[in-house]
Amino acid sequence: MTKNRHQTPQSAYIHIPFCEHRCAYCNFTLIANRQDLVPAFLEAIDRELQTLGQAMPIQTLFLGGGTPTYLSESELNQLFDSLDRWLPRQPHHETSVEANPNDISPAKLQLLTNRQVNRLSLGIQSFDNTKLRALDRSHTSDQCFASVQLTREWLDNVAVDLIFAAPGETQSTWQRDLETAVKLGVQHLSTYGLTFERGTRFWSDLQKQRIHRSEEDAELSMYRAAIATLTSAGFEHYEVSNFAMPGHRCRHNEVYWQGKTYFAFGPGAARFVDGQRETNHRSTTTYLKRMQQGSSPTAESETLADEDYARERLVFGLRRLEGIQFEDFHRDTGYSLESIGGAALRRYLQSGWLEISQDTIRLTRQGLFISDALWPDLLVAENANECAT
Amino acid sequence: MTHAACKHIRNFSIVAHIDHGKSTLADRLLEATGTITQREMKEQILDDMELERERGITIKARTVAMRYRRGKDEFELNLIDTPGHVDFHYEVSRALTCCEGALLLADAFQGVEAQTVANGYAAMEHDLTIIPVINKIDLSHARVDEVIEEMEQSLAIDPDEVVKVSAKTGIGAKELLDAIVDRVPPPTGDPDAELQAMVFDSHYDKFRGTIMYVRVMNGTVNKGDKVRLMRAGTNHDCIELGQFRPLRTPCEKLYAGQVGYLICNIKSIDDVHIGDTVCLAKSADLVKPLPGYKAPKRMVYCGLFPSDGQDFEELRDALGKLSINDPSFEFEPESSEALGFGFRCGFLGLLHMEIVQQRLEQESDVDLVQTAPNVTYEIVTNNGETLEIHRPQEVPDSGQIQEFRQPIVRVNLVQPTEYIGAVMKLCQDRRGTLVRTEYLSSTRAMLTYELPLAEVIYDLHDKLKSATRGYGTMDYEVIGYRPGDLVRMDILVNGKRVDALSIICNRHDADRRGRAVCKKLKSEIDRHMFEVAVQAAIGSRIIARETVPAMRKNVTAKCYGGDISRKKKLWAKQKEGKKRMKSIGQVDIPQKAFMAVLDTGEEK
Ligand SMILES: Nc1nc2c(ncn2[C@@H]2O[C@H](COP(=O)(O)OP(=O)(O)O)[C@@H](O)[C@H]2O)c(=O)[nH]1
Ligand code: SF4
Ligand SMILES: [Mg+2]
Repeated sequence: MTKNRHQTPQSAYIHIPFCEHRCAYCNFTLIANRQDLVPAFLEAIDRELQTLGQAMPIQTLFLGGGTPTYLSESELNQLFDSLDRWLPRQPHHETSVEANPNDISPAKLQLLTNRQVNRLSLGIQSFDNTKLRALDRSHTSDQCFASVQLTREWLDNVAVDLIFAAPGETQSTWQRDLETAVKLGVQHLSTYGLTFERGTRFWSDLQKQRIHRSEEDAELSMYRAAIATLTSAGFEHYEVSNFAMPGHRCRHNEVYWQGKTYFAFGPGAARFVDGQRETNHRSTTTYLKRMQQGSSPTAESETLADEDYARERLVFGLRRLEGIQFEDFHRDTGYSLESIGGAALRRYLQSGWLEISQDTIRLTRQGLFISDALWPDLLVAENANECAT
Repeated sequence: MTHAACKHIRNFSIVAHIDHGKSTLADRLLEATGTITQREMKEQILDDMELERERGITIKARTVAMRYRRGKDEFELNLIDTPGHVDFHYEVSRALTCCEGALLLADAFQGVEAQTVANGYAAMEHDLTIIPVINKIDLSHARVDEVIEEMEQSLAIDPDEVVKVSAKTGIGAKELLDAIVDRVPPPTGDPDAELQAMVFDSHYDKFRGTIMYVRVMNGTVNKGDKVRLMRAGTNHDCIELGQFRPLRTPCEKLYAGQVGYLICNIKSIDDVHIGDTVCLAKSADLVKPLPGYKAPKRMVYCGLFPSDGQDFEELRDALGKLSINDPSFEFEPESSEALGFGFRCGFLGLLHMEIVQQRLEQESDVDLVQTAPNVTYEIVTNNGETLEIHRPQEVPDSGQIQEFRQPIVRVNLVQPTEYIGAVMKLCQDRRGTLVRTEYLSSTRAMLTYELPLAEVIYDLHDKLKSATRGYGTMDYEVIGYRPGDLVRMDILVNGKRVDALSIICNRHDADRRGRAVCKKLKSEIDRHMFEVAVQAAIGSRIIARETVPAMRKNVTAKCYGGDISRKKKLWAKQKEGKKRMKSIGQVDIPQKAFMAVLDTGEEK
């Protein structure tokens, strides 16, 4: 049975497309410094929520961005009013909000916890002022420390994001960042190697050779350091770039990786409902216009065939380091893992990038480091074009 | 004996070194005769193929009929355009067969160049009346007297016969027309004899079938006649005939001496051979075919493979279509372990190869992998057999080779005297033998060398240009095969020989080239999840090695809800890109890499 992808979503993502400033590496859907658009946005979100037709009880809610905490307290209240009406949260829900260190204040934390937010994800990126400047972040090291400490007083589920391989970054800066996060007692850590995306200032700086990519080996050893430091501090390395203390994995993100369905609202937001992947228009102003006109915010949609779904399930499932159980895979997709993985899977097993133990297939350590090179062949069916020489 | 009907006909070509103004001059003549009004004048009307426009060179012979009125006489002047590049020598020769005269054009500033000499000789060999013309006399730095001296020195031109024109301003156009009328003899055929017409070109028209370009040598062909293509032995109804003025203009008949076209409803291109003779079907037994052209010899071969194996048939169709309009290009199926099924294609030279490839890309959307071009070699085996080698893979084990021969060309290089030293070094480095040095004037000289064709085609032209600040020009002709100290060098990727990467080279260059190719391949091959060894070998002896280190880290950070569709697209695209590569064992080799073997390892 392939019910998984037709189940009514138990999760929802809300995209808040505002930041006070666009960081030089960031290509997310957002507009910087446009407070004036927030009221229209809140109205638009409410309209989009209305398209649900009825209240949909959910288990996980994730407010991402952009910077959700860029909204004022009254604006946040208005947003949660809409959400509570259309997406009532069930008992034992997880509600995450992304936040910027310089937005954190007791008043905001008060409001968020009042509105049943039980997980905060702080965009720290680094605790080092030089690195923060290199990354074009708008906050200081002090704000990083203060915001984590303050948040810890209000919540027992605090997540932070850290970037490595920033321009000019050394191994020791990175090691200090990791240790600082551990010492501050956060429950969840996401570590991202800096990437250069088209359309960002860093991208053009890179083209003009004003900045440089880190060496592959340096990046690798930073990634290794993250794994070593965090796992020995008791974190579980449960997804390629995510680490959690036991019991503190991000349930919402697990929904994505396990091929489950979810709602999504806001510009650029992507949902997976009834076997269909849809992405809203990425332009905030277009999104607003469409919602005002009562037309659909969707810009792209793709109906997944059974096999496509199975392939996604395989790739995104393997990003979880626990791997995939053969039985689960079959239950969720209707296919056997071997038939979907085919020759590529056999090759990767042989090369030692994947391993099978008991009833589970997972990435090996070697496989993890080069895992992006594995996905294309698993995601797209092999064809007969390859020469067997 | 000139028949009365032919007395007013003049058939001529313009031959020149590239850029000396052939096309511009043709435009002026069309204008001066009123064949085309100034308003209609698209610049350089004869270069109508898109590619030719792009490259500013004429590739295929064109023809146009002009009416020129002088006093109470009206003349029919047929201009047959010729290509200017050395690869297309044989086309020049085809065009010259249809003419009685040739305008030998030289640039008043550039002077006599290598192809001026080559084309001048060709016109003399065809016994044509030559009208020497100096063009661009409007240039303030024109050096007319010196160029006349150069013409005299190199081609024994009589200085008094030189006509001075500016194709740009039109100065001298009238005088030139008069010279054509007065000096070029009228054709000698007999309109009342049995029909003999020479097919000197053809092109394929979607709607009308094959359009044959003919010069009528004898007799008359009328609309509605049943004609025979003598070589194919097939009969056809002549449903339309006419002349290019410059657009296709039908008429009732073409007679001896005239140049025009025939449309005979021929859908199968295999029936039309360039150089064939057209006669009337009913009198075929009475007519002897005209001496045809020697089929041009293909000197350069390369493999063309569809990058997606499924496009094989499509590629075959596309090549077939191209060869309709370009009989000098040939292809036959070949298969390679590395590249799968494709075609071995023969070309007249490197430019010809580039042009065919570009046309393929424009006219079909098959993605191509091209292997490095090589010349045709000859091998005499121990049991006395002579093999023609079109691809390096065909070279037998060295134990079986008695003699390994390569094509040798005679190259004429014309340059200002101060560059003689640099040019000589260039030729010596390529194992050239100096034949002679000839001073065209006090400032310009022509060197003649014998060189292996393989050394000439790849980059001699570029090297000459940079050694002479652009002033040097060259031209060459094949003079035969000679034994050389040649070896086949193989390339191994992770221990596997990649057949499509083998090359033939001089033994003394093998080490240097082996190193260069390995280095180049290293830079072309992406890191894999394992180490990739690239080696060059002669027989079982490894002469060079490079290693592409294994990929160490390739893992993206984020992958959340919104990233899924994006990542999927990205990975699908990567997969598509990989499909376009060729995998040898587990190693993906990008298509560009198959040209890497051209890297000679010389200092740039
Ligand atoms: N100044 C000047 N330029 C000319 C003359 N004839 C041709 N050209 C230029 O020379 C270049 C080459 O001319 P083209 O007719 O294409 O040469 P082709 O390669 O022999 O056909 C073009 O830029 C022409 O405009 C001329 O009489 N005077
Ligand atoms: S704060 Fe985050 S979302 Fe906003 S611009 Fe910076 S990186 Fe992008
Ligand atoms: Mg031209």
